[in-house]
Amino acid sequence: MTRDEIRVEIIRVFNELFEIENPGNDDDLREAYEFDSIDAIELLGEIEIMLASPLTQSEKKKAMEIRTINDIIDYVESLSLTRSKGSSNPGNISP
Amino acid sequence: MVRRVVITECAAITPVGYSKDEIIKHLIEGISGVKKLRIDDLLSDYIHCGVFGTIDYPIAYDFKRQHRKTMGPVSYYACQVAKEVLKKSGLNNDFITSGKLGVAFGSTHGSPSVQREIYKTFFSESRSEFASIGAVDYLKSMVHTTAVNITKMFGITGRVISSSTACTTSSQSIGFGYEMVKYGLQDAMLCGGADEYDTTTVAVFDNLLACSTEFNDTPHLTPRPFDVQRDGLVVGEGAGAVLLEEYESAKKRDANILGEIIGFSCNNNGGDLILPNIDGITQTIRLGLKDADIGADSVDFISAHATATKMGDVIEAQAMGRVYGDSPVVTGLKSYMGHTMGSCGVIETIITLYMMHEGFIAPTLNLDTVDERCAMVKHAKTLIESNIDIAAIQNFAFGGVNTCLILRKAGP
Repeated sequence: MTRDEIRVEIIRVFNELFEIENPGNDDDLREAYEFDSIDAIELLGEIEIMLASPLTQSEKKKAMEIRTINDIIDYVESLSLTRSKGSSNPGNISP
Repeated sequence: MVRRVVITECAAITPVGYSKDEIIKHLIEGISGVKKLRIDDLLSDYIHCGVFGTIDYPIAYDFKRQHRKTMGPVSYYACQVAKEVLKKSGLNNDFITSGKLGVAFGSTHGSPSVQREIYKTFFSESRSEFASIGAVDYLKSMVHTTAVNITKMFGITGRVISSSTACTTSSQSIGFGYEMVKYGLQDAMLCGGADEYDTTTVAVFDNLLACSTEFNDTPHLTPRPFDVQRDGLVVGEGAGAVLLEEYESAKKRDANILGEIIGFSCNNNGGDLILPNIDGITQTIRLGLKDADIGADSVDFISAHATATKMGDVIEAQAMGRVYGDSPVVTGLKSYMGHTMGSCGVIETIITLYMMHEGFIAPTLNLDTVDERCAMVKHAKTLIESNIDIAAIQNFAFGGVNTCLILRKAGP
């Protein structure tokens, strides 16, 4: 996915799932929109669908540092690149 | 320290309406809230019972996303009645968040519809590679979901009690809340219960041959507490909340006192988890009167548990006969809306408060011919204009749990 495609998709998720319309790229999501750890876990589920690939535990833990939309886009872009290189370790997934 | 405990606000969402006026209209005009069971593509095709005490009117919720995200349908009901009660009470936010207000609220088993979605993930082919159980599914479905969604929504920091004892869930909520205030552990308690539309509960009673099945084409004619043609209970949905306050502080702030709780009892049959037990029920009634420090002849009205099962009604009537003789007037309020499970105790308490205030006793709906085995008490067969000074609300649950609440009309 390109960075622009990721941005469009993330903004869609924020609008539809979290009812947060057009959040600023550098807004602190917790302070500005009460986006909390529960929301972050829900977002990870959406990112898995977006990438069509499950996230490992260590990848998920990295997401806990995320504070802004730009952070999220960086995070998804990084995951997307990793997967396009074919070096991901999807963990214990049933066939 | 023993303090007087009064009810200063109430609200109920029931199959016979949401507002006080709507509920009273159903009672006075004898309108049932029992409707046909909805098709749910899960269990409804396999259940013999085809009726349900249904909430089929729209409710205008305006909860913020921050609150909605941890709420299943049962918590929508719970938070709606809690919100209405707190709003009407006039309590200020400093008090609500002070730790002096606690919450006693429960449901039969959290949110079964959310639990169903969780279980679906085990069988679904789609998204099977991903973590498809939502991060909030547990918060939405856990047994104490109603109580803690209420504390979260209003910033309540006092004690939390979350009974989950089936049909005595909300009568325990009120009773335990009453004891919290009476003995000075909290100055006020927001008490109640809720249960959402759920066919798994119907299936449970259906399997036990305890559900009504003969009136599927005429839902309004069932349940029929104490009637010779009764054929079982009707499961329903609903919610109710009452605000309990210490009498002196309620009076000082000029609160609207709706009634006083003067007694509560709760015991267990100490044996079978299903069968009604006359000794256990009799003892509950006696313990309630003892806690209220009144004689049986002081009670004017009894809201009987009266689910319309074959044996439950007989045992309850016999227990009432033992303690009261044929003096108080008895009504089975489930005849109007079915058995609203975890919310029945608080809904029946609120309706009793309404009748106390308005000066009437609603008859047991569908009670055309009293079963002679239930005939030893004074049944309300028609609408009675009557001043209720003291009322008893009886509830009994699977697991052998029994409760009795004693209310007194608001007065000096």
